[in-house]
Amino acid sequence: MSQSRQINVSKNGVPVTAIVALAIVFVAGLFVVGFDQGHIFSLVYGEEAFQDLYIHELTHDMRHAAGFPCH
Amino acid sequence: MKTFLFILIVISSGAAAGLIHGSMNLIFVEPSLDQAIGIENQHLFASGEEKDTPEFWIKYDGYRTWQKSGQVLAGGILGISVGALFGIIFALSRNSLPGKTDIKKALVLAGIMWLAIYFIPFLKYPANPPTVGDPETIVLRGILYLIFIAISGFGAVGFYKLSQKLKTKKLVALVGYAAFIGIAFVAMPENPDQIAAPMDLVNNFRIMSAFTVSLYWLSLGIILGSLWHHYKPHKEIIPFN
Repeated sequence: MSQSRQINVSKNGVPVTAIVALAIVFVAGLFVVGFDQGHIFSLVYGEEAFQDLYIHELTHDMRHAAGFPCH
Repeated sequence: MKTFLFILIVISSGAAAGLIHGSMNLIFVEPSLDQAIGIENQHLFASGEEKDTPEFWIKYDGYRTWQKSGQVLAGGILGISVGALFGIIFALSRNSLPGKTDIKKALVLAGIMWLAIYFIPFLKYPANPPTVGDPETIVLRGILYLIFIAISGFGAVGFYKLSQKLKTKKLVALVGYAAFIGIAFVAMPENPDQIAAPMDLVNNFRIMSAFTVSLYWLSLGIILGSLWHHYKPHKEIIPFN
């Protein structure tokens, strides 16, 4: 008895699901470390998050060190 | 390709290189950051916003310790993020990258990506320590930086694809990209902020910052290349009969 499996692959043999998952990781991580000004926590804490800037403060040193614009 | 293994290799090499980056920053970049924040504190005392009291320093020291732990954590997150982009491009371009081993191929790609999406944008918009940036212009500066990275990154890919299509030498793609990025470099607006901090501090910070980011790209290439070489995620799954 034989069984064949089908997987979703792109032209180069790289799975599309992997590319999509890693692309999401790339964008989300870059936003957290480089650009968030309270946006992510505002989803839970509302306007207060834009005052607290928790993620900005936590990633502050890396933001400067990696060359992202900061103040 | 083994999907799960591929993702696991990409994420773990990004995390490892990122943690190296964050830890190295504690040694090489933090002294400049502390110095720059020291200047900010003097401004706060001078303006009367804060008072130079023992209580202030206890609070400040605790806060800075927390921020320094954030440096390493953010290193890990940024490492995974940039590593994810590196992993995608490595998987897609592995067959056309020069070099006999996966480590050499990964190092070549790390070098190209370091140049196109880090070093050339760094020359246009160099990193600045605290006290330099104006909070009012942060969104504009963020947009300019991202646009320039995108122009450079897509430009590099575009000229490579074009040279493939026209069947010309890779040198033609390199010259084309150089001319293209040269024009973008001149055409893009400057960072609007004036630097009031001492230039010694700013330059020292920039050198250290560029050093540790470069160390990140080097580590990323070596780690991903080694893991890829060892686990070979590109090998197809053998269908069982």
